[in-house]
Amino acid sequence: MPPDPALFRPGRRAVLGGLLGALALTGCGTLGSKPKVREWNLFGGGDGARLLQIHQQYVAEHPDVAFEAHTLAWGPPFYTKLAMSAAGGRAPEVATLHLSRLKGFSPTTMLDPIPVDLLADAGVTESDFLPTSWNRAIVDGKLYAVPLDTHPFVLYYNTEICKKAGLLGADGKIKTVKGVDAFFDMLKAVKDVTGKFGASVETTNPWRLWWTLYGQLEGKFFDETGTRLILDDAKALEALSLMAKLAADGLTPRSSNYSALVAQFSNGEAGLSFNGEWEVTTYQTAKMPFSMAPFPVVYDVPKYAGDAHTFVLPHQSNRNKDDTKATVEYIAWMLKHSAEWAAGGHVPAYQPVAKSQEYLNLKPQAEYRSVAPDVLFDPDAWFSGSGAQLQNEAAAAFSGVFSGQATPKAALAQFKAATQKLLDTPSPV
Amino acid sequence: MAVETPSRVTPGTSPTAAKAGTGQPWKERWGGLFFVAPFLLLFVLFMLWPIVSGLWNSFFNTSLAGVKQEFLGLQNWQDLFGDPAVWSSLKNTLVFTAMSTPPLVIIALIMALLANRKGLLGWLLRFSYFAPFVLPATVVTLIWVWIYQPGFGLVNGLLTAGGFAEIDWLNTENRAMLAVVITTVWWTVGFNFLLYLAALQGIPAQVYEAAQIDGANGRQQLFRITLPLLSRTTGLIVVLQLVASLKIFDQIYLMTNGGPNYATRPIIQYIYESGFTSYRIGYASAISYLFFAIIVIVAVAQFKLFSGRGEAE
Amino acid sequence: MTTATLPAATKSSRPVRWTFPKAASAVGAVILAVVWLVPLLWALDTSLKPEPETTRAPITWLPEAPTADAYRSVIDQGDLIRWFFNSTIVSVLVTTLTLVVSVLAAYGFSRTKFPGRKVLFGLIIAGILVPPQVLIVPLFQEMTGLGLVDTYWGMVLPQVVAPVMVFVLKKFFDGISRDYEDAARVDGASRRRIVWSVMVPMSRPILVAVSIFTFIGAWNNFLWPFIVTTDPSMMTIPVGLANVQGSYGLRYAQIMASAVLGGLPLLIVYALFQRHVVRGVGDAGIKG
Repeated sequence: MPPDPALFRPGRRAVLGGLLGALALTGCGTLGSKPKVREWNLFGGGDGARLLQIHQQYVAEHPDVAFEAHTLAWGPPFYTKLAMSAAGGRAPEVATLHLSRLKGFSPTTMLDPIPVDLLADAGVTESDFLPTSWNRAIVDGKLYAVPLDTHPFVLYYNTEICKKAGLLGADGKIKTVKGVDAFFDMLKAVKDVTGKFGASVETTNPWRLWWTLYGQLEGKFFDETGTRLILDDAKALEALSLMAKLAADGLTPRSSNYSALVAQFSNGEAGLSFNGEWEVTTYQTAKMPFSMAPFPVVYDVPKYAGDAHTFVLPHQSNRNKDDTKATVEYIAWMLKHSAEWAAGGHVPAYQPVAKSQEYLNLKPQAEYRSVAPDVLFDPDAWFSGSGAQLQNEAAAAFSGVFSGQATPKAALAQFKAATQKLLDTPSPV
Repeated sequence: MAVETPSRVTPGTSPTAAKAGTGQPWKERWGGLFFVAPFLLLFVLFMLWPIVSGLWNSFFNTSLAGVKQEFLGLQNWQDLFGDPAVWSSLKNTLVFTAMSTPPLVIIALIMALLANRKGLLGWLLRFSYFAPFVLPATVVTLIWVWIYQPGFGLVNGLLTAGGFAEIDWLNTENRAMLAVVITTVWWTVGFNFLLYLAALQGIPAQVYEAAQIDGANGRQQLFRITLPLLSRTTGLIVVLQLVASLKIFDQIYLMTNGGPNYATRPIIQYIYESGFTSYRIGYASAISYLFFAIIVIVAVAQFKLFSGRGEAE
Repeated sequence: MTTATLPAATKSSRPVRWTFPKAASAVGAVILAVVWLVPLLWALDTSLKPEPETTRAPITWLPEAPTADAYRSVIDQGDLIRWFFNSTIVSVLVTTLTLVVSVLAAYGFSRTKFPGRKVLFGLIIAGILVPPQVLIVPLFQEMTGLGLVDTYWGMVLPQVVAPVMVFVLKKFFDGISRDYEDAARVDGASRRRIVWSVMVPMSRPILVAVSIFTFIGAWNNFLWPFIVTTDPSMMTIPVGLANVQGSYGLRYAQIMASAVLGGLPLLIVYALFQRHVVRGVGDAGIKG
């Protein structure tokens, strides 16, 4: 509710009056009688470009809906804005949220429950999902999120470079490597071809790589109660030392942020890339020769850091019925069209699509989707999850391992202290 | 929220009535308040009230998520003093202030001395030196992050072309703050430059003419006349700059997001993160007050120092 | 500098001879100016390159095939236009309202007497010490309560509270002789009329200067609009550019194109009003 314009009557000038008039028109502009769906997402990579195409199709098919989508900067900026908009009462109708963030986002106050009946009307029910993903979306008996996909950490490879390096099998696919030595041999072979790096990694946020390696060592994080840190120092150090060695041997950059990771793989400075599977569209657009594979099992067991995207309804102080209905229908539409979403890299959560021939025929997606069951979610805590505080602390501590500014030991000590501090902080949710 | 405007209260008070003060004593006595009222209302609503409610919040565990509001007493304040992140971010703020203030004063002075000329050249110089100041922080940082980019950025391109090793400015702990300072100097030195320029142009030409008659050369004029006459301006610029630098947030948040490894995170960013990213409104309010106290102490100390010296002159 | 070698004719009363130190200072001034312009030119340069050329090593100085593609895609994404509109509304409102309430308050403190005037003025002056940065948390809470998050008023109103403006204007009004006012009063003008038809015209230069600075400040303000807007369609240029991503994949040229477009309006304003800006700093800064 805007304050009484009479407040500013001293400026009896026409200029001001005109301005206030203009404001009334634009500030509280309604989009006619169309139901509105405003969608916020955090897809800043190739998946964002893919989403744009899907949304264009959605808009074309739904002229009766006022639709607007925005991509906000990934991670803390997105989640902070989303939380502030929910607190401010004018949140968008729908937003994406990582499943790992759901509990820490205070769903009961910052999200509105998904009307399951409306969802069923739109043709989507519980039976369309794997029980594990559906159950994670339920808090206090209510559904707060609709799973869209799962996204494991994978291996991208430049087929030309890897062919020169002798890493491809007769079928043209990269040969599976297992164990630390084989892993390093592969990287060295690639480095010899590129003359620069073996693989591109995001050294400024190495959580996914570390969590993958630590998971492959079967390391644990919290105890069953989720209140005590039970990190296995030896395993954590082993993973960190491997990361340090990668950079020290020049197999990966010493310092590289996310956009550099993409640039280095696309300009051929690196023949491999360790990243989530969402950049498919970027490399396809660049028309470069590449394919994908599961991230190598460097240690004992196949585990791959990952997360899942979901749709949520951020809390609105005045929720409009028509908007909500249109929003739920949007969600259902997106799920049914998630084969196109999957073409951008992600593994669909909606089983009718996941089992469809259309999806099963997709390349290179077919090469890595088998790892979905082995996806390792982030530790369960209010400060944990994609782009949350725990990952930031890991990024702060572990990026020094790549740059050489911190020893693995010092980095681990810093990370453990930071995690303990987070555990000691009373939960605000 | 209807507010009486001055027009309704003092409708053409006749001068005689006003002077005699007999006709409308109430209006004569209180009428002036209504000129002040609009500003005062906004001042109370958007400055006093948040100051008070911030202090109030600092005794609660208020959460952005709206789930909690319990009285904590002094718990937030105790936590704050034991929180290393508070002190390290405060240290970063002070380091930034110490690193940025001298160049922002000295380069501004040099620029003013160089650009104090008439004609097209003077116009062009003034334009170049001040132009960055009118850009928004985001534009400035987008440009500079790109300039510092390893591999294909301008600075590293020049370094490698000159045969030097490239530096990953924004991701190296002891370089990132320097990089931010360089950007800040480029961006904001123009304001201090204009202050100096105005002061220079305020020096009467006769002073120099007299000096020339006495045979003073350019160097003597600079050190014996110009610089001493600028000392008051320098004092003012230092005061303004110190307080401005202590409020650092925009450039750092946008360029390094406080990294690498929190090496550049200023106190205001920690307030922002505590309150909005971690939902801890109560705790963030307490840290705000710590910072507020520091700003007030610095400002008051400088005011004393400055006004004291002014009287001595 | 060829002019440096010529015996320059000068309009100044002092005879200027192009001695070595003078020439050196001119050259130094120009070099410094070039250094100061290089980042802007580099941004412009990058924005005109095709994307693949931006990440090429070694760097290319000038675009091999200049293209406006980056500008086209940035504008097509649409948000920039909307943010430009928002920035204009917010900056104009902030400037107008700040001026109106500050002029009124300054007049009230300068020319009228009412009980508690000194205390109130002291309180407002103390407000100069309050950095807006420390208020972001409680102010956001307040805006949540008032329902002003993601509104123009939410962005504008806190920015209108500028105690330093009241202080500067009051000092300026104090220096204006009361004779003018008295003359107007004899003619039967109300005090309200006196403000607008005597005080304001007499303070035109300083008002122009503070308006320009208030406008630049509002246009460029990052922190408060950043806090109080979450909806990308309500953001101002600085906030939108920092938070919303409109393109994907390799996009350095596009980022620089949006930076150029985001910076251009005020560069133009500044180029047009440079004289006022320079003098305004003198008036408001030195005397204030």
